[in-house]
Amino acid sequence: MLNYTLRRLLMVVPTLLILVIFAFYLMRLAPGGPFTSERPLPPAVMANVLERYGMDEPLHVQLWTYVSNIVCCFDFGPSFSQKDRSVNDVIAQGFPVTLTYGFWSAVFVLLLGVPLGIIAALRHNGFWDYTMTGLAIFSQIFPNFVLAPLLVLLFTLSWGLLPGGGWNGGQWQYIVMPAIALGTSYMASVARLTRGSMLEVLGSPYIRTARAKGLPERTIILRHALKPALLPTLTYMGPVFVYMITGSVFVDVFFSTGGIGQDFINGAYSRDYAILLGLAILYAVLTFVLTLMVDLLYAWIDPKVRAGLS
Amino acid sequence: MLSVENLHIRFRTGDGMVHAVNDVSFEVGAGRQIAVVGESGSGKSQIALAIMGLLAKNAEVEGRIMWNGQDLLAASNREMNRIRAREIGIVFQDPMSSLNPYMTIERQLTEIVEYHEGLSRRDARARALQVMDAVRISDAKARLRAYPHEFSGGMRQRIVIAMALMCQPKLILADEPTTALDVTVQAQIMQLLADVQRDLGTSVVLITHDLGVVAGFCEEVVVLYGGRIMEEAETIALFDQPTHPYTRGLLSAVPNIKDPSDALTAIPGSPPNQHRFPQACPFAPRCVDAVDICRDTLPALRQGRACLRPVEELT
Repeated sequence: MLNYTLRRLLMVVPTLLILVIFAFYLMRLAPGGPFTSERPLPPAVMANVLERYGMDEPLHVQLWTYVSNIVCCFDFGPSFSQKDRSVNDVIAQGFPVTLTYGFWSAVFVLLLGVPLGIIAALRHNGFWDYTMTGLAIFSQIFPNFVLAPLLVLLFTLSWGLLPGGGWNGGQWQYIVMPAIALGTSYMASVARLTRGSMLEVLGSPYIRTARAKGLPERTIILRHALKPALLPTLTYMGPVFVYMITGSVFVDVFFSTGGIGQDFINGAYSRDYAILLGLAILYAVLTFVLTLMVDLLYAWIDPKVRAGLS
Repeated sequence: MLSVENLHIRFRTGDGMVHAVNDVSFEVGAGRQIAVVGESGSGKSQIALAIMGLLAKNAEVEGRIMWNGQDLLAASNREMNRIRAREIGIVFQDPMSSLNPYMTIERQLTEIVEYHEGLSRRDARARALQVMDAVRISDAKARLRAYPHEFSGGMRQRIVIAMALMCQPKLILADEPTTALDVTVQAQIMQLLADVQRDLGTSVVLITHDLGVVAGFCEEVVVLYGGRIMEEAETIALFDQPTHPYTRGLLSAVPNIKDPSDALTAIPGSPPNQHRFPQACPFAPRCVDAVDICRDTLPALRQGRACLRPVEELT
């Protein structure tokens, strides 16, 4: 198992390298650049600016400098669009924000979605099943740009319970609404996934065996059915978790949280090569780590997978 | 000890009612071995599930299943949980899928006695080892920690049997316990069941489509067709002098090794459509001896046979 984990982690390095090379050239292929604007800069100024950011060198030299700076000093370079800020600064400031509300959002998704799915499965075709399925479909078609204003309308404007935006060092009042706005549709998906797989597991022969043992229903659900029923949810949550902790543009903008979700979009608009590459690497690393964790959790749940790993 | 009285099982399905079991009655005395024989779709497995109270949700049941004075069909799930495993154990057909792949063998065995007898983890483990010994699993200690996928089919079926034996029940329902196994393993498993039965004095209801299995193991046979009892007799009498055309057909479909010239005969036709409650003998369309009356009268079970024709007139 340890062997497998190490092997997987080692794979990160070449994969990241390939990703960086591709992303680097792809961005440069796109027309325009960080310093093009409607009114072009005077050639002398432009030359100065390009030199300042090392863009006067040939592309492969720039790539080499970029990669070696990361390897030697963990330096992702200066931002092209935000003056006097490095990519490290931007990520160090924005990522903790999205990590925080994204994490709590994921907690909300699992803590609500999984039990709802289980209850619906246990009350198959009953009142709670239909209620849950209805709610799930409703919140799945409810986009967050409708949900977020609605939350603000209720919790801030009507009841005055929560602040309508801002971050304030991540106090819990500032986390609640971003987390709910971000997570609701995923929560609905998780509930539906859990319901479906729980129903399938409950119909399986080994659950019939468990019933034939005369065990109480609670034991059958918790000890026999829960683990296998969670497998599809686990697979689903891996990439979704990455998406959540890197935040969403809409949530960042609407609640003025200052997370990196909005940096990515701004970076794309302003052709801020450094920010885009830096964030792409962050996403890639997170995806790696999360898929590895999902695979390890899979192995923990399923002994057959575990046997295959060692 | 167990008496099934006028049992009917119907299923509500998308295209109407399916009458799976119709008016079936039989008794199982203490220490007896009864075989319930029938082809697939004859309703035999549903009888076992009905006894355990594990029928699918769309099932409708009628009749009584008396277990030491208590009607199991009227029992609540809670009351059933006191009988399941503790008094009646069941061995399911497919050992590949009837063990939980995500739990160790140890846990699947120990949880039974921990719950029913309040044993500690250690005592439960000791019981598990003892029972694994009884079903002749060698190196039981090491195997307790293993998961089902690490075992062969025959071994898994031994574990399923061990599970049924954990609380030393008075009755074991064996639902096609050897169907999913290799022929050589089949013999071992049947021998094992016979030994267990002899050592513990447990009653056994063996559900099977295989008359060969029945011959060596059971004292009494109930032959089902289309969810109805066709014939009911002591095993020796049944094999010697089958009195129902269906039983005769079944027996001549078993190859005779002593007489190679004896061609294998099949019963022509296919099992009946059970969407309607039978109004006539369900076997009549396939019966070589059927006459007009067979096609519009439902034969009652008299002296162990449900046939409208006298035995002497059968071919």
